Amino acid sequence: MANYHPSDELLMSFSAGQMPDALGIIVACHLEQCAHCRQRTALYDKLGGEILMHTEDVPVAPQLLNNLLCKLDLPYPNAANETQLNSETSAASEIKRIQNLPKPLRRFVSKEFDKLPWSGMTSSLKEFQLPFSGNGYSAKFYKISAGKELPVHTHRGNEYTLVLDGSFSDNAGEYHQGDFILADTQIIHQPKAANDADCICFAVTDAPLKMTGFFGRLLNPFLK
Amino acid sequence: MSSDSNNNTNLIDSTLNALILEIAEHQSKQAFIELFNRVSSKLKAYAIRCGANQADAEEVVQECLLIVWRKAPTFNPQTASAITWLYTIVRNKRIDFIRKQRPDLICSDDLWPEPESDELEKHVESDLNANIIRTLLYELPEEQRQIVFKVYFEGKSHSEIANELDLPLGTIKSRLRLAMKKLDTLAKENMSWLIIILLMNF
Repeated sequence: MANYHPSDELLMSFSAGQMPDALGIIVACHLEQCAHCRQRTALYDKLGGEILMHTEDVPVAPQLLNNLLCKLDLPYPNAANETQLNSETSAASEIKRIQNLPKPLRRFVSKEFDKLPWSGMTSSLKEFQLPFSGNGYSAKFYKISAGKELPVHTHRGNEYTLVLDGSFSDNAGEYHQGDFILADTQIIHQPKAANDADCICFAVTDAPLKMTGFFGRLLNPFLK
Repeated sequence: MSSDSNNNTNLIDSTLNALILEIAEHQSKQAFIELFNRVSSKLKAYAIRCGANQADAEEVVQECLLIVWRKAPTFNPQTASAITWLYTIVRNKRIDFIRKQRPDLICSDDLWPEPESDELEKHVESDLNANIIRTLLYELPEEQRQIVFKVYFEGKSHSEIANELDLPLGTIKSRLRLAMKKLDTLAKENMSWLIIILLMNF
């Protein structure tokens, strides 16, 4: 059960279907693991329904109904794709069983965490770029080696983090699987992975990290 | 908001519920036509408010109603009312429609995957709940409601809304926060009433 959750502003914008891709996926991953936030999002869906019913009518073209009625009896066009999708899903559920990979990520991450092509930032911090960055948002997995501490850093923008595996802590708390943490420009922290396992996080940033410590400053030029 | 219009929306919701169930059970085209007449102009209005042109909006309407026809058997009025269900369909279709033109990777199925059978939601959407949200929406001061609408229709960030309305960012944030706090309080009060009702029934 997660202890750290997305803000209501994020949940409302998720429910409105108005989030940039990377943010939408990270919120969806948290929701999968958090009944509390699913319940809250259901309220915002409901609000969406009310808003839908209270918009002023915009009548459709008269032939639209007939066009539709002609299509009702046509076979479902995606039937073939669906079987394919199902077999992909069953392969992916295998991965989930091993690694707790949330469903919204399954189409994009086809390997177990330790088989991913991690690229090294330092020996204790590795990253894996996810394919749905864009609109000024960058999405990555980070792997902090067990017991290792990152350089002190702050953020130029916002960094949304979801713990996928293992746990880490900083001066503000201890974060476990499913926890959703927002670090903004006000926060200066030094995350440390728990001693017993590597910590794998899914992080979405809207601006690059800014290292503040001595070692951090050295490291910074290598960060994109 | 008057209780009249509240009752009115309840009536709309229960009529839509019945029509969708009729489609699910009997593939009734008559029910489908009836549903079309009641919701197509709402679905189109939503797409237009979200920025679609006339032609795209009508395509979104068509795709939504085809989904309603095909997926009616999965509609469960106990977990979401007809209005909420239709909203989630049109929201998802809008997202996928935008992606069709700009071949991004994310689609609505990634964001809202089908729940596996063992993780089906247990919570039940009650009429009480629906009324409370409805009342909330119409009791919000106009300035708060305007911002909520902008979030839903325009996907505006707070700073964009601030620019547009020529107000400080802090004001936008606090108005939205007030709106959500009110929603939250009402939801929590509602929750405790549900518990009281449940306790009284045992």
